[in-house]
Amino acid sequence: MRAGVAAEFETADALLHAVKGMREAGYDDLDAFTPYPIEGLDEALALRRSPLNWIVFPLGMSAAAAAFGLMWFCNAYSYPINVGGRPGFAIPAFVPITFETAVLASSLIAFVLLWALCRLPALTHPLFGVEGFDRASLDRFWLVVGTRDVKLLLEYTPKDLEKLGALRVTSFGDVSNGHISP
Amino acid sequence: MNSADEPVFIGHPTDAALTDQILDPVWAPKSRAWMPAFVFTGLGSLGLFALVFWTFWTGIGLWGSSIPVAWAFAITSFVWWIGIGHAGTFISAILLLFEQRWRTSINRFAEAMTLFAVVQAGIYPLIHLGRPWFFYWLAPYPATMKVWPNFKSALPWDMAAVSTYLMVSVLFWYMGLVPDLATARDRAPSRLRRTLYGIFALGWRGSARHQRHYRMAYGLLAGLATPLVLSVHSIVSCDFAITILPGWHSTIFPPYFVAGAIFSGFCMVVTLMVPIRRLYGLQNVITLKHLDNVCKMILATGLIVGYSYFCEFYLAYYSGDIYEQGTMFHSLTQATNSWTFWYTIFTNVVLVQAFWFRSVRQSPIIAFILTLFINAGMWTERFSLIVLSQQRDFLTSSWHAYHPTFVDWGILFGTLCFFAFLFLVFLRCVPFIALTELKELNRKMAKEAT
Amino acid sequence: MSADEDGRVSNDNGLVRLRRPSPEVASPWRSLDERDQTATYLASIGDDLGEATEPPSATSRRTFLQFLGASMSLAGLDGCARKQPAQILPYSITPDGAIPGVPREYATAMTLDGFATGLLVRSSEGRPTKVEGNPDHPTSRGKTTLLQQASLLQLYDPDRMRGVENRGRPSSWEALLALLCKDRSDAGAGLRILAEPTASPTFQRLLGLVASRHPGSKNTFWSAMPVLANTLAGAQLALGKRLQPRLDFARADVILTLDADFLTSMEDQLVYSRDWAARRRVASPGQAMSRLYTVECALSPTGTMADHRLARRSAEILQVARAIAAQLPTIAPELRGAVELDPAAARFAAAVARDLARCAPGSSLVVVGERQPPWLHALGWAMNAALGNLRTTAQAEDPVLLEGSQDLPALVHDMQAGAVDTLIILDGNPVYSTPPELGLEAAMDQVRERIYCADYHNETASRCTWVAPRAHYLESWGDGRAYDGTVSIVQPLIEALHGARPPIELLGALAGLSAPHAHALVRATHPASDWDAALQRGVVNDTTSPLVAITFGGAAAIAAALGTTIAPSPHVLELDFYLSPTVHDGRFTNNPWLLEQPEPTTKLTWENAALVAPALAKRLGLANEDVVELVCNGRALSVPVFISPGQADDAVALWLGYGRSGAESIASKRGVNAASLRTRSTLAFAPDARLRKLGLAQSLASMQTQRTMLGRPIALASTKAGYEANPGFTSEHKGEVASLMKPVPFEGLQWAMSIDLGLCTGCSSCMVACQAENNIPVVGKAEVEKNREMHWLRIDTYFTGEVDNPGVIHQPMMCQHCETAPCEYVCPVNATVHSPDGLNEMVYNRCVGTRFCSNNCPYKVRRFNWFDWNKRVAANQGSYQLAHNPEVTVRERGVMEKCSYCVQRIRGAEITAQIAHRMLAPGEVRSACQQACPTGAIEFGSLSHVESTMVKWRQEPRSYAVLNDQGTRPRTMYLARIDNPNPELA
Repeated sequence: MRAGVAAEFETADALLHAVKGMREAGYDDLDAFTPYPIEGLDEALALRRSPLNWIVFPLGMSAAAAAFGLMWFCNAYSYPINVGGRPGFAIPAFVPITFETAVLASSLIAFVLLWALCRLPALTHPLFGVEGFDRASLDRFWLVVGTRDVKLLLEYTPKDLEKLGALRVTSFGDVSNGHISP
Repeated sequence: MNSADEPVFIGHPTDAALTDQILDPVWAPKSRAWMPAFVFTGLGSLGLFALVFWTFWTGIGLWGSSIPVAWAFAITSFVWWIGIGHAGTFISAILLLFEQRWRTSINRFAEAMTLFAVVQAGIYPLIHLGRPWFFYWLAPYPATMKVWPNFKSALPWDMAAVSTYLMVSVLFWYMGLVPDLATARDRAPSRLRRTLYGIFALGWRGSARHQRHYRMAYGLLAGLATPLVLSVHSIVSCDFAITILPGWHSTIFPPYFVAGAIFSGFCMVVTLMVPIRRLYGLQNVITLKHLDNVCKMILATGLIVGYSYFCEFYLAYYSGDIYEQGTMFHSLTQATNSWTFWYTIFTNVVLVQAFWFRSVRQSPIIAFILTLFINAGMWTERFSLIVLSQQRDFLTSSWHAYHPTFVDWGILFGTLCFFAFLFLVFLRCVPFIALTELKELNRKMAKEAT
Repeated sequence: MSADEDGRVSNDNGLVRLRRPSPEVASPWRSLDERDQTATYLASIGDDLGEATEPPSATSRRTFLQFLGASMSLAGLDGCARKQPAQILPYSITPDGAIPGVPREYATAMTLDGFATGLLVRSSEGRPTKVEGNPDHPTSRGKTTLLQQASLLQLYDPDRMRGVENRGRPSSWEALLALLCKDRSDAGAGLRILAEPTASPTFQRLLGLVASRHPGSKNTFWSAMPVLANTLAGAQLALGKRLQPRLDFARADVILTLDADFLTSMEDQLVYSRDWAARRRVASPGQAMSRLYTVECALSPTGTMADHRLARRSAEILQVARAIAAQLPTIAPELRGAVELDPAAARFAAAVARDLARCAPGSSLVVVGERQPPWLHALGWAMNAALGNLRTTAQAEDPVLLEGSQDLPALVHDMQAGAVDTLIILDGNPVYSTPPELGLEAAMDQVRERIYCADYHNETASRCTWVAPRAHYLESWGDGRAYDGTVSIVQPLIEALHGARPPIELLGALAGLSAPHAHALVRATHPASDWDAALQRGVVNDTTSPLVAITFGGAAAIAAALGTTIAPSPHVLELDFYLSPTVHDGRFTNNPWLLEQPEPTTKLTWENAALVAPALAKRLGLANEDVVELVCNGRALSVPVFISPGQADDAVALWLGYGRSGAESIASKRGVNAASLRTRSTLAFAPDARLRKLGLAQSLASMQTQRTMLGRPIALASTKAGYEANPGFTSEHKGEVASLMKPVPFEGLQWAMSIDLGLCTGCSSCMVACQAENNIPVVGKAEVEKNREMHWLRIDTYFTGEVDNPGVIHQPMMCQHCETAPCEYVCPVNATVHSPDGLNEMVYNRCVGTRFCSNNCPYKVRRFNWFDWNKRVAANQGSYQLAHNPEVTVRERGVMEKCSYCVQRIRGAEITAQIAHRMLAPGEVRSACQQACPTGAIEFGSLSHVESTMVKWRQEPRSYAVLNDQGTRPRTMYLARIDNPNPELA
């Protein structure tokens, strides 16, 4: 989320409590920023499980198949030749490279995919401008309400957050389309 | 199960305090020993490059190898380094899957150790070629004359395994590093460092939405790395097991090599862990509990290795194959260079028994010294296995004793320096303890305490 | 070979060969100076070819003239040849009928120790590149010794003398010949000729001319080891006439050799080997074979083949011989009478005597070696006479060698007395090889003109006023006589590289001829004979010397002579001198091939050593490489020790030919000069030597360190009786081995080899032949010590039985061309793969040098280029490279190599057959080792030729495959050695 209202909390528990509170209050475009993973946060934020593994698996398998096919092509099809009286299409001998290729391909794909799903690398981000946000990687816990949240009201939302124990609340990014009171 | 009273983490520091403790060594050298060590190992590395260049220039005749002993120091050291490289991934991947808490404080530098060990190992197969400038012929590149590699040979397997291992280790290591780099970015004292860490942190913000992908990917890599660890040394062992040479031609090599690898790897972990713990005052983070567990691993794998030795001899005796018996009962035990075999037995079978005692497991100094011996013992094991078998094969007429040259020794010493050099650089550049995970663990334990 | 549009043809070594220029087409040039050169070629060749290009009369004449054209066309080039030998490579004009790239063979002959052996020499584009035996020649029969094989490299030795010098300053042949041609006032009284032993008719004729022109002149023949001197003297004693024995091993059932290594170091060894082998091949169980008893001091190849061998000091052999003779029932009464011997020797003597006596008259043979004194030779004749061999196995003929008019001591005496003003030394190296006590070196100062015609600036050259380069037999005309008298013409294949000329031209000048030319001199010697046929066949018809009817009548004289001899006292150290099996008397000590050639029994290379028996070593606390001081005849020598099982106790053996101090770059400072310990009376062995351990060590390069098989089934052997009792004793070492993989089917020609271990004498001729054929580099002593020698074919020699009197078995070992080759499947880059005709191919271009193949080769026959030997080792460089076989790749650094079954010969033959639209005939392809092997122990061919000897051999019960149980399915099969021991001695 490129813009919204960010609130700083002292502890992970405070954050969790706040997240629950905000959800009950009906906010749904929420994200939390923490120095380390917090148990129960995903559930609190109602985040879905990552689809990453389902993408990696088929790709890794096809890479393995390709490797096996290549070895078959080289030794059994393109240039079959008598090597020590052994068969050109030697399945047991092809297993190691097939396996290694599967591992290598899967790892590379997983690595690339991870950053793709996270939209990273992104060296700049409006949140980095928020004062005190640098401690999000140290010992502070931030809760952010995105502008896509219909309940986001620049008058009330900060108050809701402060009620839930936020140390401070600031808006960031372009909140011009942030909803104003009727 | 917990034979040590010590927890895997002492005290409940605040996140800030903990962060500073881990990051301090990165901002400023905490030990006066660092710079001299850096210079010495740097020079040693230069020496390595010089010798490698000389070998490229004139040919591997500079080494002591001959017919029948065509593989000697280079392959011995290759296998040894690869073996050392196994502990890192074992710790970070397998212990992760088993949710072992004692993994947290040591996995980062264990992985780095793996990385640098594999780099050393990677040097050898290349320089030991007769015509190294054609190394790429082992890969199926689109050759105009349709000359493809022979995938029945173990060497292409080897190349695939080692390069895969190096690649995956790098990815795994870097992925784990990203959140810590973000922390370093936000704590960096100077603008330059801030920018550098910022770049490598890729703009990581610790978003919960990112972290769910992150955990998945990290777990996935762990899942992939686990069989990989077991496969790599199995494949390396095939360089020997697929031959018909007595002493090499053996079906128990894969498990035997893997056990030996993890064995030597954990020894190297202790060898590195004890000084780091002391020099950087990390007694609260790397506790005797860690030492105790690692030593238990050493004992366990050591016993497997010892058992493998026994199997080798028993099989030779039971097979009735005169060549196998000749190798096992004479070439190995009573030929030139046989002292390496006996030294191996001393360290890997006798010395390792000391780890039955908790007092030994939990005394950093003793454990440190023991592992030094065992590291050497693992090298001599590879040596006696590779060289002694070749010295005396089938036809007695071709028997010949192997004698290394100073180039052989020089290159071995050089890789040791290069390894240490890389490790020293690593200590000064990135948090060598998984900070984020440590903080997570800190919170978990604090919760349990209350 | 590729021709580009402007008609330039470039050959393998990148040199440009010009097509024969036709008037209308201007020949293209690569560079200006090349044009000038070519201009000079054409100019110089123009007149030379006048003869060569005239219409040929007969085919024979044609071939000869073509050859002449070739060498003459090279003549135009020899101007640059001196500066840069490589430039004589290309023809400037291709001689008639010569197809570029197709080698041609010419018949010639090599003379060694006075006797000529007929050879066929291969010429590739004008370079002699390989020596083979001449099948038409009676003492070669198509076979060669290792020295003949290696003589090729002598031609290209960069250390050879480069031109005539007078007192260190460059001079000319004209000047030298003019000097020799001058009339003398003293009727030649001050003129002496010191030459190597020779039987050359031209030499003889010219000596006659010299004698008639200078009646007072005298000539002397000398060689490091006397040739036939004792033998002829023995014949004089026994038969009343100086005769040389003509032995027939093919008709001998029982052979007794007394210090006679007839297989590798007697004059007629090639014939002896072949005849002996004919009676040792056991085609089937129960077939009769001869029995060989050997009494000798140091272990010789003959000793290794003996069924029973008695090792005694050379001086004791006489006693053993007397004991045997005395027990022959039919021996002359004068020679009866008990001789006291140690129990072992007595038992041996008794058994041998009985065995000899058992033979049918005329079917046994007693051979005595030249090292033994005349009376032992005479005793040998006595025994042969008693056994009725004089008309069958042991006959005689008139000596072939020329007799000198003065012996060496007399010559030296004259020199010391100042009676000699001109000494002409023709070849040999007397200053090095004569016993110091003679004082030849000092005496030379008394001679005004000392003229020396030889190959090198050696010890003798440094003492002479004139030195002149002697022409190699491949670059000069000459002739010689074989042991049986047969005359051969020596015809050159190449213009002399360094302006060298043969000694006969010096004699010609002495005889008063103004401009003697070897060709004319030789031609004039053989006016009657059909010259061209002689050149073609390599022998002059009807020149074989006839047998002389002999009767034994010297019993009394022998008894008298024997009476004067005294048995050597026990435990007195004897020092034995032998010609080196590899470098001979020192003339080959600058030959890298021979220096790196492992000596047949010790496998030592590059140096000589003091060989001692294990028992003696134990008594004196000696180990290999301990340096000892040998004191003998008042002179001392420090030399490293090497323990040689099978040698007589109380004897130290030394090879001559080492310890050279001449200017030869490779020979100098290799080993020690054993000749310096000799005296006139102790040329072969000296009693009463003393040995002192110095406490130093000096490394020796032996190519085989483990000398026993440790009970492994590697080189199998059995006895005649054992073979009959159990013909299938090798059955478990051949045949199918259970395998999960189905064998690859092989059709058509399938190359394979069969080797009969019963016939391999370890003579090593095959090794040098292989080295010459396949451009195998030498690596030097230091690398040999690291086990990095490159020989594709090695001979493993194993000792069996007890260490003091061991059995010995030789096993040629080269790539076995396994059908399921372990080396192939481990090669990551397919650099070693299998050909459809069953060859294990090594693809040098593809090899990256992982050496995995060598690790997985159970025979360890693969060789690795640890360095770029051809650039790093001087002995492979420069003009030596002219000896390279253009059909075989020169290998680069970092690649593996090994025996290829001489694949270049196979493909060559296939191409020939294809052009002729016919199938390849059995026996058409011969590997280099097979062609050279004097006993014919190696058979090569295709499995599809079921009638061929090779296939028949492997079907014999005693055939087996080495390490068959490893499932490698080797294509090379061995035939277990069969010995024929005497049950009495078993």
